[in-house]
Amino acid sequence: MRNKRLKKIIFDWYIYIVLVIFWIASSAASPFFRTTSTFSTILVSAVPIALVGLGQTFVVLSRGFDLSVGAVASLATAIASVTMIWGIGPSIGSIILISLVIGAINGFGVSKLKIDSFIMTLGMMFFLTGVSLLIRPSPGGFIPTNFKKILLYHVANLPLVPFLILVLAATVGILVLQKRRFGREIYAIGGDPESAKMSGVNVDRTRIKVFIVSALSAAMAGLFISARIGSGNAEAGAPYLFDSFTAVFMGGTLVTGGVGCYRGTVASALIIASIGHILQFLGITIWYHFIVKGLLLAGVAGIQLLIVGSERAE
Amino acid sequence: MKRIGGFQLSATQPLILVLALIVISAIAGFITPGFLTFFHLKMILYCNTMLGILALAQTLVILSGGIDLSIGAIYWITVMVGALLMVDGRFILPSIVCIIVGAAIGTINGLGISRLKIPHVVMTLAMMIILTGTLYVTTGGGGRGRAAQELISLSTGRIFGFPIITLVWISLTVLFYVILKVTAFGWKVRALGSSLSASHCSGISIWKVQVLVYMISGTLAAVAGLLYLGWARTPYPTFQSGAGVGANIMLESIAAVIIGGTLFLGGRGGVERTFLGVLVLAVLFSILSMAGLGVEWQIMLNGIIILAIVGVHSRIGLQ
Repeated sequence: MRNKRLKKIIFDWYIYIVLVIFWIASSAASPFFRTTSTFSTILVSAVPIALVGLGQTFVVLSRGFDLSVGAVASLATAIASVTMIWGIGPSIGSIILISLVIGAINGFGVSKLKIDSFIMTLGMMFFLTGVSLLIRPSPGGFIPTNFKKILLYHVANLPLVPFLILVLAATVGILVLQKRRFGREIYAIGGDPESAKMSGVNVDRTRIKVFIVSALSAAMAGLFISARIGSGNAEAGAPYLFDSFTAVFMGGTLVTGGVGCYRGTVASALIIASIGHILQFLGITIWYHFIVKGLLLAGVAGIQLLIVGSERAE
Repeated sequence: MKRIGGFQLSATQPLILVLALIVISAIAGFITPGFLTFFHLKMILYCNTMLGILALAQTLVILSGGIDLSIGAIYWITVMVGALLMVDGRFILPSIVCIIVGAAIGTINGLGISRLKIPHVVMTLAMMIILTGTLYVTTGGGGRGRAAQELISLSTGRIFGFPIITLVWISLTVLFYVILKVTAFGWKVRALGSSLSASHCSGISIWKVQVLVYMISGTLAAVAGLLYLGWARTPYPTFQSGAGVGANIMLESIAAVIIGGTLFLGGRGGVERTFLGVLVLAVLFSILSMAGLGVEWQIMLNGIIILAIVGVHSRIGLQ
């Protein structure tokens, strides 16, 4: 009994165990790693991954993929860099509106037209990348200093606002998925869409909502990215596409949907953001972080499947 | 599957694409006189050979119910390995090494998916990220080395005025068309895509087929990489894309498969459809660039075509 409970705790929190081990080992290995400025940078670079990962967690939990998140983030930086001349408020408003429309179209295609989510969002990704390149052919544009200052607001060398964004995203993600009806419906659809439908879940509407959440959180990530790089860039969001999948899968959400949670995604986002730093401090070429990331992803996914398999066997 | 008068609608799919191709080309030829010349059509084929071979490999994987996200990364890793090994002018041995590297990476993918039961998206995504790292670590993000003279003459050479590499692409397509139609392996691939459990029950050793499919995918990606290396002469670092090494061409290969009309979930489709899919994309892009519209319009159009075609499929019940 006791053993079983311990096993459950390990299963639920193993990614945090990995994170803590990772941080302790890194701090022991390099004196430069255990400084507040390092952790501040890690926190700031984890924010866009966690934000994109928020929507992606919702989508993967409901048995889908969203390949358009990177393109939505890029589009948000492109639009921000063009429209922020006329004021921050209208610019953010228009970005939110556009992302809502994009998410609704994705959701409509997936639920009503029965197009596979991978294909639907792949097409959307190509389309939006083209649009972003039209709006912003080369990186640049205008991002107001105030906007950058607010989003990257530091108190005593600690990134207060990025930290608050992370906490807010985590709260929303965990609360909605675990406590709200919408979240439970997502798990039901991910478990088995047919039985979800029979137990009265409006599958189509929930799926549309899921894709809207995904596009919205990707657009928020895009806004944060544009504040970080201080400009618009039609390719700035592209790396976050595969990072979002890495974060979701590493965080314990199953590709087949229905199993997983957002807290794992947040921890993975922090791990992904830390890998580059620790390699740098150990004097290893930064490019190795890809290899570490890939091995971690395959390893964690493999171990997790072993655990799930042994639980099913019991 | 909808039937109209006892006629299977999905069988018309390649026909629709052929018709679309003819109509588009006719209109383009009417507007721009240079379009319908042998030279131009040959160039369209020539410029899309590498994508065509990758899409061919991707078709096989998708038919078997999987997906290979690492195909673009394998492609670029062969370009790099080939260029590094060919620096002192050797050709045969480096080429063999390249193809073995591609096959080995594919086999690792297949083993991870079939034996360790890692989902194909996760396994090939992890492989793509690992290969991205390997590529950057070994080259530092820039191109190093160059192609051997023999490879250059192979990639740029012509037989009766027809590019050799395009002939390679066409013959590979014919080869895999025959393999999928005639051999037991071809039927097993499609059986896997239709239903894993049914294939298991009918005695197919699933893991062997899966390993073989991913191995072929890796090998074909390596072949495409070698041909590209001879074409480009030096591995000019065009592989740098934000999403990861080879991510763009990988996504384009999936797009070509889908536009060709192969079912994304596997089981139905074929390499001949993918060939048409690549042609449709190529002809449309060619028209766009003749109209003076840049690459951003091409990317946008790519998305629109995918959505339009799968939208139509879903309306007539093919998807």
